[in-house]
Amino acid sequence: MSWITVVWSMNGAACLTLAAFYFVLWCNQRKSWMHLAFSGSAVAGAALTGFELALLRAQTTEQYGAILRWAQLPVWGLVVSLVVFVRLYLRAGRPWLAWTVCCVRTLALILNFLFIPNLSYREITSLRQVSWWGGETVSVPVGVTNPWILVAQLSSLLLIVFLIDATITVWRQGDRKRALRVGGGLSLFSLIAVGQALLVVWGIIQVPFLVCFALLGLLAVMGYELCSDVFRAAQLARELEASDKRLNLAADSADVGLWEWDIVRNEIWITDRGRSLFGFAASEKLDFDRFRSRLHPEDRESVLNAVENSLRTGAEYRSEYRVVLPNGQLRWMAGRGHVECNGDGQPVRMRGASLDITKHKQAEEEAARQRNEMAHLSRVFTLGELSGSIAHELSLPLSAILSNAQAAQRVLANGKAELADIREMLYDIVSEDKRASEVIRRLGFLLKKGEVQQHCLSINGVVEDVLNLVRSDLVNQKVTVDTDLTRNLPTVTGDPVQLQQVLLNLVVNACDAMAGCKAPECMLLIRTGIENGSRTVIVSVTDHGTSVPEEKLEEIFEPFFTTKQTGMGLGLSVCRTIIAAHRGKLWATNNPDCGATFQFSLPIRATNGQAQMINNRTIANNGLD
Amino acid sequence: MTAPSKPIVFVVDDYAPIRRSIVRLLHVAGFAVAAFPSAEEFLAQYDPQTLGCLVLDVAMPTLNGLELQSLLAKLGSLLPIIFLTGTSDIPQSVRAMKQGASDFLTKPVGDEELLAAVRLAIEKHRARRREQAELSDFRARLATLTPREREVLDHVVAGKLNKQIAGDLGTVEQTIKVHRAHVMEKMRVQSVAELVRLIERYRINGSVH
Repeated sequence: MSWITVVWSMNGAACLTLAAFYFVLWCNQRKSWMHLAFSGSAVAGAALTGFELALLRAQTTEQYGAILRWAQLPVWGLVVSLVVFVRLYLRAGRPWLAWTVCCVRTLALILNFLFIPNLSYREITSLRQVSWWGGETVSVPVGVTNPWILVAQLSSLLLIVFLIDATITVWRQGDRKRALRVGGGLSLFSLIAVGQALLVVWGIIQVPFLVCFALLGLLAVMGYELCSDVFRAAQLARELEASDKRLNLAADSADVGLWEWDIVRNEIWITDRGRSLFGFAASEKLDFDRFRSRLHPEDRESVLNAVENSLRTGAEYRSEYRVVLPNGQLRWMAGRGHVECNGDGQPVRMRGASLDITKHKQAEEEAARQRNEMAHLSRVFTLGELSGSIAHELSLPLSAILSNAQAAQRVLANGKAELADIREMLYDIVSEDKRASEVIRRLGFLLKKGEVQQHCLSINGVVEDVLNLVRSDLVNQKVTVDTDLTRNLPTVTGDPVQLQQVLLNLVVNACDAMAGCKAPECMLLIRTGIENGSRTVIVSVTDHGTSVPEEKLEEIFEPFFTTKQTGMGLGLSVCRTIIAAHRGKLWATNNPDCGATFQFSLPIRATNGQAQMINNRTIANNGLD
Repeated sequence: MTAPSKPIVFVVDDYAPIRRSIVRLLHVAGFAVAAFPSAEEFLAQYDPQTLGCLVLDVAMPTLNGLELQSLLAKLGSLLPIIFLTGTSDIPQSVRAMKQGASDFLTKPVGDEELLAAVRLAIEKHRARRREQAELSDFRARLATLTPREREVLDHVVAGKLNKQIAGDLGTVEQTIKVHRAHVMEKMRVQSVAELVRLIERYRINGSVH
């Protein structure tokens, strides 16, 4: 076979291969228009190569003229697609210049089909047969050049100007390598192709059209650039994989499970570590219901509320909940996530992480347990100090019961029993017995060492209970109690025993501070109210005893600080811990005249039931083994 | 008022159920009882002439039991006091007993214990009143003596003979004999020994002069 046929065919095949490859790429990534532009250029290049081969082999002038005319079609395609490629790939080149190049080239194409035989020649007079290496002969046209070819050449010139302009722009933007490689390469090969065609058309050199090799160079430059993009994507994919591995490793070692919830398809993807945290099998297919089934029944509602809230408002999803593993074991988890929405603002995906916080919760629980232990100890101690008063409280009803009973016995023994008298005595016995039981109940309540309860309670009720308990102690110490309790106060959430303990401590301390007082000044004022503007209830205990030295107003809340001979110095520090656990504050101030005021604030019970439930749980910390 | 011979038990306690129960018990046991919810109300009604005793609660608001005791002592009352307390507070009971309390009982108190204490207290009151009466009688008799007779009395009690007394007072034995007869008569005693015993008794109990 002739080597010319072989070389030109190979050139054409190379162009077509590139065209096909990039067309497939474009099919996969429809938005990547530069791939289509390149594919178009390559098709045009292949077509031009074919026409060029046909020109070399043309036998008659008519045949030559017709082929040359049709060859303008792929030239037009090549120019337009090259302009589009440069605009898309380099994002450079003046748009008006790009439009001008395309318009002038289109004009040239139209003119091409108006002239016979074509735009290049007004007339092809003869074909010269030139001998090439290896005994091959090729056709070279001889004729009169068509002056309108200048339109096509203007278009080519403008194309080169456009390319150089784009190159300079990229160069100036700092990406010099790319400017040289793409802009420079394209400009150079275009110049060669245009120059060779120009020289042939004007009969300056007597050789056939040989632009297809320059075109292949042009395509090679473009292809190389696009290829490097493919390499870069592969590199990115490798880096992404490594980064993914690193993230997974970090997540695994921190006991974090990463997950992604496809909301539309209701499918959940989760890391292996996440699967083991929730007790899912490695192959198990997961959806939201499977996740829900793992939640502790008491926590389901709060988690669902958190998810719903997040889906509705787009806010970050956050919740803490217990998971029941298939073996029955409980695990505390903290979940966080973000919602992703589609263009219409509909949530389509949620990504997040779940963290095992069991140890943290256990530590929290242990701290709470120790705090309660301490509170109980201090409570027992305080009640020990009050034991005389409490014994007195008990002796009153017992005394009345005994005397009434014995009086009744005597009446019956005398045989002069009046039923009405006996009835009165029995009535007193019953009511006094109830009173004694009440004292014991109240005492047992405070001595009890139980779990911290969270009740919705009235703070005035707490004040009244404490005053009932210390009543006789106050009488003995000649302390007058004045109360100023605001009616209809909002309720607070808390442990009634611990709140009574705090108030009991403050009252006992106030009485001790007034130990040396004379009767009229020996007055205790207990006040309840709402702090202006803020959502808290305030309870204050004011005495008229000795003031606390200013520099010790904080120190008195330290553990083991005491001024009493028998005190442990734990009362106030435990009180402060208790109030802090109720999310309140306890502090002391000196009164302007004499004595001090101790007061504590407690947040008013939240109206939102859900928030309340979660808070309860963080304070009470129950149900974990 | 009841007849002078019938003693009255006063009960003062601020806690009504106890007050009622003690009143009932004492009433059944046959005592006349008067009860008051506070020390102040008792004081307003109190007649020192009344025979009886006081059953008194220690812990009361405003005026407490121990304070009422001091107040009564200042008024010169002889009324024996039985304290009732809810707590066995030792310093309190010591103070009460030092101030002359008749008894100090801890609530709840049994009927026998209370009634025995009440009976004893009433007896004490009777005895004290008798002593008080005798003392005032003695003082009255002593007051009838002339200054000269008082001097003679002192010398007689000191164990001196008539002659010695006459010598001391610068008079004759006969005059001393007359004074001495008057003293014996006015003091209503039969013998010198009886006179000496009478004087010694009240010298111990209090001041004679």
